[in-house]
Amino acid sequence: MLECREITKIYGRKTAVDNVSFKLEPGKIYAMLGPNGSGKTTLMKMAVGLVKPSSGGFYYNGKPVGPESRREVAYMSTEPYFYNWMTIKDVGQYYDDFFDDFSMEIYERLIQRMELSEEMKTKSLSSGMMAKLKIAVTMARRAKVYLLDEPLNGIDLLARDEIIRSVLEAAGEDTTLVISSHLVDELEKVVDAAIFIKESHLVEMCGVEELREERGKSVVDLYREIYGHGGEATC
Amino acid sequence: MLKLMKYELRKTMFSKFILLLITAIAEIAYLIGVFFDWDRGLAIGLVGLMCCAMFGILYIGIESLLVFHRDLNTKQSYMLFLTPTSSYQVLGAKVIENGVSILLTGAFFAALAAIDFTVSVIYIGGVKQFLDLLHEMMVNFQVEINISAQSLAMGFFAILVSWLMMVVTGYLAIVLSATVLAGRRFSGVVSFIIYLLLGWVCGWIVDRCVPVSMVNDTLEFVLTIGALFIEIIVMYLAAGWIMERRLSV
Repeated sequence: MLECREITKIYGRKTAVDNVSFKLEPGKIYAMLGPNGSGKTTLMKMAVGLVKPSSGGFYYNGKPVGPESRREVAYMSTEPYFYNWMTIKDVGQYYDDFFDDFSMEIYERLIQRMELSEEMKTKSLSSGMMAKLKIAVTMARRAKVYLLDEPLNGIDLLARDEIIRSVLEAAGEDTTLVISSHLVDELEKVVDAAIFIKESHLVEMCGVEELREERGKSVVDLYREIYGHGGEATC
Repeated sequence: MLKLMKYELRKTMFSKFILLLITAIAEIAYLIGVFFDWDRGLAIGLVGLMCCAMFGILYIGIESLLVFHRDLNTKQSYMLFLTPTSSYQVLGAKVIENGVSILLTGAFFAALAAIDFTVSVIYIGGVKQFLDLLHEMMVNFQVEINISAQSLAMGFFAILVSWLMMVVTGYLAIVLSATVLAGRRFSGVVSFIIYLLLGWVCGWIVDRCVPVSMVNDTLEFVLTIGALFIEIIVMYLAAGWIMERRLSV
């Protein structure tokens, strides 16, 4: 499915991602974990071709990622990116125009669930509302791979449940979900595997069950071990 | 591609609406001048309409470059580059939409000028004079068509190629600024210098390719236009190629 091979991204003098390789399997939900600046966002952006690697590359079903892979790989950016003139309805229409796997019916249902109105202008949305809109429009696609960058950022506790519920609805045997977040303990409940990124490197990629059974640790424990006690692991 | 063009058009709707609004104000001034014999209004309207036509069309061309710059340098770029479309399609949609916009705007102002002319001739000159004038115009028009159809076509192609050259050179300079020069100091200034340089290099190449003193002017014109078209295609492909391989948004 989605695979990255020895991928490196250098911005000027800073190495954002350094020689990272991993392979994502269908039917699994992954947590991509790491502190700010560790390279999670750059990795996700390279997976959809928004950022070009300095060396190595991302491959989808054996082919380099590009316009074709974007038909089946959905990405939710952590930053707001909709055109200022758009209403929530326009955003849905835009996705409907470009993505064959987009369902307007699911979008309308998610918008309603997130307590948003189709007539709202995107430029007037609060950060929480914007996060909900990004999730709604991304999860209204029936994609094969979902890459969600900090989907729970700026979301209150109650809305978080709605978002996690919407995300989990997309999970299936042939679907891969990658969720990056700082809320490690909350993610641990729903993910099958975790990818730990530290200072541009892939530290570890492990199954949550294997971690518990073979090493007697939780994802939170391993997170604390890798990144130090407290700090990023708190929610 | 049509969907991309639809959204390109939507991005520039506001400025087109403003242009339409100013045109409407100038048109009202012009018509008041005609109907109420108000010379000052007539002059203001006429100058306003001419300015709207000239600067409006020029601005539509420049705005295309401004929008492209914004598309590559803000997070809104995700809207374009998350879709399953290639960089060549993105660029192509922008070029075509801009060309169609300029053509339609030109046609709109030409039609408006024809209507205004007709209205003023009918109102100021009277119906008989207007019909005489129309008859005279039709006779002249026939003669003119026979004489200048070729030069008309040559003029059209010259404008088309000049506009394409301006837009595609601008796109290439913006792409270079967002890729090769990204993050460097004075990348904007450098890309503008590249834009000027590209224009000069293209002209220099055409001068070398097309013999200066050809016996047949038409052949020289066709060769020049052909050479410029090739340069435009090369620059378009180069911009698309760089975007596909180097552009990070």
